[in-house]
Amino acid sequence: MNDDTRKTLAPLESNSPERLPEIFASIREDFDREAAAVRDAQQWKQLHDAWLGRKSGVIANITENWLKSAPRELKSAVGQSLNALRAHIESVAAQREKELREAAEQAALSRERADLSLPGAIRALGCRHPLRQTFEEIERIFLSIGFSVVEGPEIETPYYNFDALNIPETHPARDTMDTFYVSTPAGSPPRLLRTHTSPMQVRTMEKRKPPVRIIVPGRVYRRENPDASHSFAFHQIEGLAVDRDITFADFKGTIEYFAGQFFGPRTRVRLRPSYFPFTEPSVEFDASCSMCEGGGCRLCKQSGWIELFGAGMVNPAVYQFVDYDPKQYCGFAFGLGVDRLAMIKFGITDIQLFFQNDARFLRQFP
Amino acid sequence: MKILFEWLKDFVDIPVTPQELRSRLAMTGTAIDAIEQTAAGTMLDTEVTINRPDCMGHLGVAREVAAIFRTPLRPPNVDFRETSEPTSKAAQVSIECPDLCGRYTARIIRGVKVGPSPDWLRKRLEAIGQNSINNVVDATNYVLMELGQPLHAFDYDRIAEHHIVIRRAKAGEKMRTLDGIDRTLGNSMCMIADASHSVAIGGVMGGQESEISSSSRNVLLESAWFDPVSVRRTSKALGLRTEASIRFERGCDAEMAEFASRRCAQLIRQLAGGEILAGVIDIYPGRRERARIPVSQREIVRVMGASVPDSEIEAILSALGFVPRRTAGSANSDASAWECTQPSWRADVTREIDLVEEVARHYGLDKFPARLPAAREPAARLPHAAARERLKERLSALGYHEIVTIPFVEPVRDDIFRDPGVQPVSIANPLSEDAGILRTSGIPNMTATLEWNINRGQKNVRLFEIGAAYRWNGAETVEESVLTIGATGMAREKSVADSPREFNFADLKGDLDQIGELAGGFDWTAGAPSWLHAARSGTLALSGEFSAEKGIAGQLSREAADKLKLRQEVFLAEFPLAPFYAAFDAARVGRRFMPISKFPAVERDFSLLLKDGVTFAQVRDAIEELAIAEVISIEAVDLFRGGQVPTGKHSLLVRVTFQSMDATLTESQLAGFASRIIDTLSSRLAAELRAA
Repeated sequence: MNDDTRKTLAPLESNSPERLPEIFASIREDFDREAAAVRDAQQWKQLHDAWLGRKSGVIANITENWLKSAPRELKSAVGQSLNALRAHIESVAAQREKELREAAEQAALSRERADLSLPGAIRALGCRHPLRQTFEEIERIFLSIGFSVVEGPEIETPYYNFDALNIPETHPARDTMDTFYVSTPAGSPPRLLRTHTSPMQVRTMEKRKPPVRIIVPGRVYRRENPDASHSFAFHQIEGLAVDRDITFADFKGTIEYFAGQFFGPRTRVRLRPSYFPFTEPSVEFDASCSMCEGGGCRLCKQSGWIELFGAGMVNPAVYQFVDYDPKQYCGFAFGLGVDRLAMIKFGITDIQLFFQNDARFLRQFP
Repeated sequence: MKILFEWLKDFVDIPVTPQELRSRLAMTGTAIDAIEQTAAGTMLDTEVTINRPDCMGHLGVAREVAAIFRTPLRPPNVDFRETSEPTSKAAQVSIECPDLCGRYTARIIRGVKVGPSPDWLRKRLEAIGQNSINNVVDATNYVLMELGQPLHAFDYDRIAEHHIVIRRAKAGEKMRTLDGIDRTLGNSMCMIADASHSVAIGGVMGGQESEISSSSRNVLLESAWFDPVSVRRTSKALGLRTEASIRFERGCDAEMAEFASRRCAQLIRQLAGGEILAGVIDIYPGRRERARIPVSQREIVRVMGASVPDSEIEAILSALGFVPRRTAGSANSDASAWECTQPSWRADVTREIDLVEEVARHYGLDKFPARLPAAREPAARLPHAAARERLKERLSALGYHEIVTIPFVEPVRDDIFRDPGVQPVSIANPLSEDAGILRTSGIPNMTATLEWNINRGQKNVRLFEIGAAYRWNGAETVEESVLTIGATGMAREKSVADSPREFNFADLKGDLDQIGELAGGFDWTAGAPSWLHAARSGTLALSGEFSAEKGIAGQLSREAADKLKLRQEVFLAEFPLAPFYAAFDAARVGRRFMPISKFPAVERDFSLLLKDGVTFAQVRDAIEELAIAEVISIEAVDLFRGGQVPTGKHSLLVRVTFQSMDATLTESQLAGFASRIIDTLSSRLAAELRAA
């Protein structure tokens, strides 16, 4: 610290203008040395007060002691040197302050840096059941191509579940759908738990004339012992389109569109002739096996194909039950197995997982 | 039906490998479940659809193969020499129930030597899962598998008076079948009897008494046609499904009966020697005219969306035995039409649509075009789809996982939660007693699911199900859509960032209120079913016209939890969804924007000392009744008992927020509001103001 600034210039014997630069250079050197030694905010405050303090800082002293008392001929030179010195000190002090702050921040950051491998505060969110997600996805696909959604009862009459679908009591197809019956009060007509969503075909056509274009999501029941691929309750989405100019081509276009949307463009599909009492021609709709991509594996029983669902053109015999003229109207119907589609899509190997609702299972479908 | 590749080749040339044949058969409607190697070569396990009894034998499948490759079919050649003695002299057949038995043929082979079958035959039968018995019985089984026609060989000498009578069973009649079981028969069943008693159940199984044994010398060979419905009923009634019954119940080929008899007689003589008597006894009351069925290019286009070349139509229908005869149009014209004759083995084909299917499946379904049908009407979602979606969205956001359960429950479990007066729907033929009724609410399944999770270490779960509750309403069943909620364990688990907190009744109520907000809000009243905790439960209802049906919410009572062996506190709620959806729609229609004031809101806290039993709702109502327009909210922010609060009282901190749409509120206005509030609370509720 240069104590000379506490005195006037005169005793310094520096009245000659030639001496001034030397004096100021020396002060500046003092400052630079002190500034360089500053290590923290407190030292910086001391530096700032010593040099720029209003009352007794060096700059204030020079102004008071040197400038004010300077002889006329020196005033201008002292003023210029003082201004230069003040500018230098202010600038360096600001620079040092910035450096110190940044260093402090840096130090704090490295101390407080968040461990990114730690979990954040998790607000528990619920997951949607994979079956419901599958229902929604299928419904969205069919809505986008003009199918309306309808629902129907699970407790049905044999008429809607069988007879009106061209499955009379004597038909061997009844044996392929083991049925749960409901205990009914004496004298009441028999009731059963529907074995498929197809009764809604009949219920819908009874109520309205074509054009009909519906899907029917719902639960169905078969009296089968449960195992990894069977459940006595499972889920279907029925589809039905009837109109004057519906053909097999519309059917094919519709379910191929569905498969492309649901499984993605890489999946190949095929229609294979089959038999159902309420469709004719009847088909099974197969997709290339997602596990082996068609090469043959255990999942697809070495065939390269996975059976997805049954479908076909509505059997004209069904129209007789709903008073549609089979010469005028033509249509198609399909019954998607939602559980099966979800199992294939997510690679789920046991249908029972859907109904156990273990949280560890549910959380896998955010 | 197990089919041997080599056996097929007896009747048709196959230009491809078994693997390729599998896919070609599948693509024309004969699905193959698996291919296996056997001692008799490659076996195709075919899944024959129930409309195709003709494919329940090798010849029928060979016909499909012939149609696929357009190669000729070679049915077996059945030339044999007969003795001069006529069959009709050696036996007699009478059909007393022509409605149940449409044809009965009998042949007699004399002087057979019953013994083991030759290797080639045993191998074939065993390869398709049939045990070899003896050469005579094996011959009948072989022809069954070859032609799809069930036959039965009787020991001729055990048929009383050599007289076969086909009649209905007498009520209560008994017979021991080949499998050694005594069967009680009914009047609707078709029996094969001799002059004294029954010897077989027609189309299902033979009797033990007249079966071929090692000492049998003479064989009476039955080849018949039985009514499918009758066979199916008999088979179901007796719980007896046989290779014969599964064919007859689907409808066998009556014409085939006599051919199969010849084929089998020839095979018996080849395997067991003996001589075949001259001619056949053939009673055929069920002879039918073959149907003439039209098919036209126009109908093919109408159903399939594209035409099929005339030559293909003719080739396919010919190969399948339909003998197409052109009735209209020139080759490849739109007007082409044919008349076909129904082959005896295709009872399933009677209409034009049936022929369209035959053409389509052999032409190739992949050859028909695909298009999306033109839209005619807008597509509609379910009426409540939007409400349900928003409800589920909220539930997920509140941390509830969606579950799907099967609504079969054990009656005693449902009993715990069932209101008296609710009549459950029972299953008449349950798989087991613990799945004996349809649940009357979602609670039984919800508690079971919570239990499943708790027992597997998943102790902190919140679940919801949108499902049905089932009950009788008079003579009608009702399936009511309900929302069921279940929660247990921690509301928030301990973590680096959070402290833990247990789920409690306030969580349940808060969650339900956030859900209720979608539908105009729930009103809570005291009282709940006895299986809920008496102090921590309530009844909730929507407001106004939607308030009739109520929901319940609360903690499961200790008693019920003990019954269910639930070892931690469980919170449950359920409410009906039909009124909720309706209220959701009404709330949405009525929803209007409320302007937001530009002026600051000011909060004032009132620390009240209240007698126990005075509720927050009473405080709120009292303040609201002052009708101070500037009051924009009244909230309870703290509640405590004990400490400096005297017994029988509690301290409630109520925060009232004031705001004006027109100006910043002044201190004197606020002081005025506050003193009015304090006055009304102290005069109406005897509230004391504590030092805030």
